[in-house]
Amino acid sequence: MAGTNVDLHGLEPEAFLEEVHSFEFWFQSVEGYLVGLEHGRQPQTPEATLSGLERERLITVLCNYCVGETAALEGAGGLIQIAPNRAAKIFLSTQAVDEGRHLEVLVRRLRELGVEEPEAEISLRASRSLVEFKRRLLDLVRGRDWAAAIFAQNVILESMEFAVFELHAPRERLAVIREDLDPLVLQSFHETMDAVGTPREEREELGRNYLRAVERLGFA
Amino acid sequence: MSSEDPLQEADTPSAPRQRFVLDDRGFNEVPKKYRKFYRTWDGPEDVLAPNEALCPVCKIVVRSSRELRPGDRIYCMACMTRLQIVRSDAGHLEAQVIY
Repeated sequence: MAGTNVDLHGLEPEAFLEEVHSFEFWFQSVEGYLVGLEHGRQPQTPEATLSGLERERLITVLCNYCVGETAALEGAGGLIQIAPNRAAKIFLSTQAVDEGRHLEVLVRRLRELGVEEPEAEISLRASRSLVEFKRRLLDLVRGRDWAAAIFAQNVILESMEFAVFELHAPRERLAVIREDLDPLVLQSFHETMDAVGTPREEREELGRNYLRAVERLGFA
Repeated sequence: MSSEDPLQEADTPSAPRQRFVLDDRGFNEVPKKYRKFYRTWDGPEDVLAPNEALCPVCKIVVRSSRELRPGDRIYCMACMTRLQIVRSDAGHLEAQVIY
């Protein structure tokens, strides 16, 4: 593929997609921002002093992150089976590795905060809507509904490739899926923010940010 | 590159395009060999050079070795997006998502 003097923007679209979906591209990318880190952070990063309430809030947020990361991990892993081409399978393998790393970092952080049984704590504190979102996402994966499952995962993560699922489903159908899942996303924000006591005005900004992200992906 | 690709050389203005030597600005979310094509965006006050466009998806600056003009194709590797340069109603160059 491309050498050091590559004219990136002169690549054919197919060559570009091949490159950015490759394991090599992913590996060299993460090497850039993970080198020198231990469990996702600089070893010399000082530990912040948290009040009891702040610690509780942080644990609740992290528990909900863990649900999202677990959904993404299981979703990406399951999607490999039904991905329509080799490039998508390879890309999903890199996403699965990434999501596994994120989950490990978060669980480790929970332990650092004194949570002795992270799995139990996650079950206790997870937003019911987020858990329901995870269930629905994995149902789509189990149902081998590629376009719906990959779309749902992108909504959760606000990332991942858009091109593949657009090729495999009419926009109208994806709009229906979005209409179905948006309330769960927004409700999960509210439930988590309730649990951590975030002021209402900040919650609304979170919801707006989510909707803006979806709109940037072309689903206004 | 295909000479028939509508996203490449879509317009043919008379003035030759400026060329730019790209340097690594420390954008470390893509492999080293591609870092020179990107830089972080410093917000609304960040004035883009003639060879730069803002990715509307992930809000990083995409850089080219030549001056950008309407119809040009550029890629954002951070979000895997193909973009097309267009002129906005306000007369500015903008990157529009193709997919």
